[in-house]
Amino acid sequence: MLKGIVSLYSPSFAKSIIYMLQSTEYQVGQYLKWFWRTKDFSQVAHRRELDKTRRARLLLFLLGAGMGFQAGVGLACITLGMLGSMIGGVQLGFALLISYPVVWAHLIVVPLELARQLVVKPKERQLIARSRHIFGETKAIKIAVAGSYGKTTMKELLATVLSAGKKVAATPGNKNVSVSHAAFAARLVGDEEVLIIEYGEGQPGDVRKYAEYTTPDIGVITGVAPAHLDKYKTLEAAAKDIFDLAEYLQVKPVYVNAESPAAKLLIKDRYQTYSVAGIDGWKVSDVKQTIHGLTFRMTKGKKVLKLKSGLLGRHLVGPLACVAALADSLGLTPQQIEQGVSNTKPYEHRMAPYAIRGAWIIDDTYNGNLEGVRAGLSLLTELDAKRKIYVTPGLVEQGAKSAEIHAEIGKLIAVAKPDKVVLMNNSATKHIHTALLQAGYAGDIQTENDPLAFYTNLDQIVANGDLVLMQNDWTDNYA
Amino acid sequence: MKTVAVIFGGRSTEHDISILTAISSIIKPLELTGEYQVEPVYISKTGEWFWDEKLKDIQLYQSGDIELFMQKAPKVHLLFEGGLVLVKSSQFAGRKMYRKIDVVFPAMHGTHGEDGELMGILEMANVAYVGCGVAASAIAMDKVLAKQVTMSSGIYSTPWIWFYADDLATKHKKILEDIKQLKYPLFVKPAHLGSSIGITRVEEPSQLMNALEVASHYDDKVIVEQGVQNLIEVTLPIIGNNEPKPALLEQPLTKPEDFFDFETKYMRGGKKGKSGGKSGAQGYSKIPADLPHELYKIAEKTALDVYKAVHCEGIARVDLLIDSKTQKVYFNEINPLPGGLYAHNWQQAGMAPVQLVSELIRYAEERFSRAQSKNTAFTTNYLKQF
Repeated sequence: MLKGIVSLYSPSFAKSIIYMLQSTEYQVGQYLKWFWRTKDFSQVAHRRELDKTRRARLLLFLLGAGMGFQAGVGLACITLGMLGSMIGGVQLGFALLISYPVVWAHLIVVPLELARQLVVKPKERQLIARSRHIFGETKAIKIAVAGSYGKTTMKELLATVLSAGKKVAATPGNKNVSVSHAAFAARLVGDEEVLIIEYGEGQPGDVRKYAEYTTPDIGVITGVAPAHLDKYKTLEAAAKDIFDLAEYLQVKPVYVNAESPAAKLLIKDRYQTYSVAGIDGWKVSDVKQTIHGLTFRMTKGKKVLKLKSGLLGRHLVGPLACVAALADSLGLTPQQIEQGVSNTKPYEHRMAPYAIRGAWIIDDTYNGNLEGVRAGLSLLTELDAKRKIYVTPGLVEQGAKSAEIHAEIGKLIAVAKPDKVVLMNNSATKHIHTALLQAGYAGDIQTENDPLAFYTNLDQIVANGDLVLMQNDWTDNYA
Repeated sequence: MKTVAVIFGGRSTEHDISILTAISSIIKPLELTGEYQVEPVYISKTGEWFWDEKLKDIQLYQSGDIELFMQKAPKVHLLFEGGLVLVKSSQFAGRKMYRKIDVVFPAMHGTHGEDGELMGILEMANVAYVGCGVAASAIAMDKVLAKQVTMSSGIYSTPWIWFYADDLATKHKKILEDIKQLKYPLFVKPAHLGSSIGITRVEEPSQLMNALEVASHYDDKVIVEQGVQNLIEVTLPIIGNNEPKPALLEQPLTKPEDFFDFETKYMRGGKKGKSGGKSGAQGYSKIPADLPHELYKIAEKTALDVYKAVHCEGIARVDLLIDSKTQKVYFNEINPLPGGLYAHNWQQAGMAPVQLVSELIRYAEERFSRAQSKNTAFTTNYLKQF
């Protein structure tokens, strides 16, 4: 308690505040929630350090100047009060002096909010309005990708494979909201044959809004899992939002991942479904998995595809099959499809393997949902290693279902039987830990208080022959 | 949480290597286990002891700020009260700070530390400590004694002679006569130093006297060894008490005419005169050594026999020389605290640095517990007769 109060007045307080703003991507609501939850401001940065961008430096200056000014005024009032030149000066001065950190931690959001409302939002609205007709007028085939998980991977797979025979453009990285779509449209040259647009659902109505704006011709639904439940409240609400894409497309082609239990319930006959078994008459066989990637065959009548990908995880056979079938339907030759699939490689922080001191690390820290956890643990079980280590801080944004979901994760880990489980100390840890023990897990459980030290010192923790799967990310703005 | 004191630095030519071993290979992994409170204890080049959290930062030494630190910081006193207690002034109102130590992790290389002196203090304090005991450390750090002890256990060494450094001035004719029994090339070494300090490879008699003088300058005992033909040099890190566990035989990538002096091992990052290797002593070797299976097993067994013959405990590294034609394996040296704990080799063998330091702490506690169960008191009427 005392340490927490002292931390309000420490020289690093301003830096902590700007770090919190930056970590929440300057979202005022999230920032304020974090601020009021925090008891000790000397310990807010566990995962990274403040990135001193221009914006961060400017805010740091404003905050420092504001706090300095208030403290100065406070001291002046006290002095005047003590000299008898100001009635109540001492009291006012002390009030100003004591309150300056809290006051300025709130006042600092004012310029941010003003800039957002007066500059950023009008600019975005303008950009969206301008790009609406680009999507309407383009002759390119527009493929929309939606889902609680795997959508960035699907978008990248489509872009990589279709590029072997078509001129393709795709929304960059995980930029998947209206303003990103607008920026993407603004950059189009006009000679593209295929556009791939990722939809990042965040709250009810998002997917319908994106579909009406970008007018897709084909939809791909990668799966439904608990995500953003703080906004959707229920899995059903999230599923309905994602399947709004299929409703929008009506009779146009929709591809749905049949391996997603929650998505399966909403599949209609007119949808194409994909899974490790195949898609649209294509049959998948001879699936082989190593740390270096996947190989499998696809056959449909006399057509045969021998596919080899650098991607990890059997759960990706279905999406790869979907992309191959879609490429076939768009007129790519078998050679082009095989070449395109061979170009697919793990994306950064998504089942991306790398070697350290003879150990293999699979970085899946961008995964943020239960299905991804299931897929990762399945891969961990399948691959051989002298020692298997599973690392997770748990899943953020699980709302009221957090305890239930983390208990499920505990059970899944216990079934996978890694030799060691490393958990990061947070509100989810106890649920995973308890479930692990209840499921009879007999391995070593380590709870880390300093995630950054753990991740940056992996070379000290692993040895030759180890296999480490690191899933999920828990940024500092979550408790 | 147990408290582990890591003692490093010291009055030794290997002072700087000790700092690196302590900070990178011991303190860092120990802290990552989350199971130990680590207290760094630094011994200066002139022998003063310091204990402070700041001593965990390698930059303190790299920047030279350690000199300023030592001028201001209070020195440490050792209190033997139910074990080992570190004591220093808190520099506040005459108060003192005390820290009871559960386990000591010596990270000293060379003289006044690795050679058994520090272990003697720790034995007197009756505290658990990592690594070889007093006798094993003293034997291992004396190349002459180590060869004598291992010879008595039937372990071969290449032909060798030794002499006291002081005798070089008065009995050099006799010394040179003795050396004539050996075939060139020869290796002239100070008997107690590690990290290849003061060692010379002598190709012909004209170079001999200079090499003897260099070695005599560093040590009071000098050993001269005959080189091995068709040489394969290997080294084996070993841990454990009664049941020693080997890591992997490691083979330095040298030609027979090369050898690893201090500069090559620690400063140039690999093979002498070549650049581009990994930095430090880890960039110049092949793990596991490229040996036929049977020869590998013989070499491994020889090293384990050496470890037992010298009665090493905790950790050590045994260096062997192999004649690839005759497939004969010779004991060369034993090092009771390998630089960096040879963690790179253990990591290759499947033991991560955090596991390695935890295992070493466990061995220390096991030995300590065993020693505590021994009876050290014996009641007699001897004094009553006076």
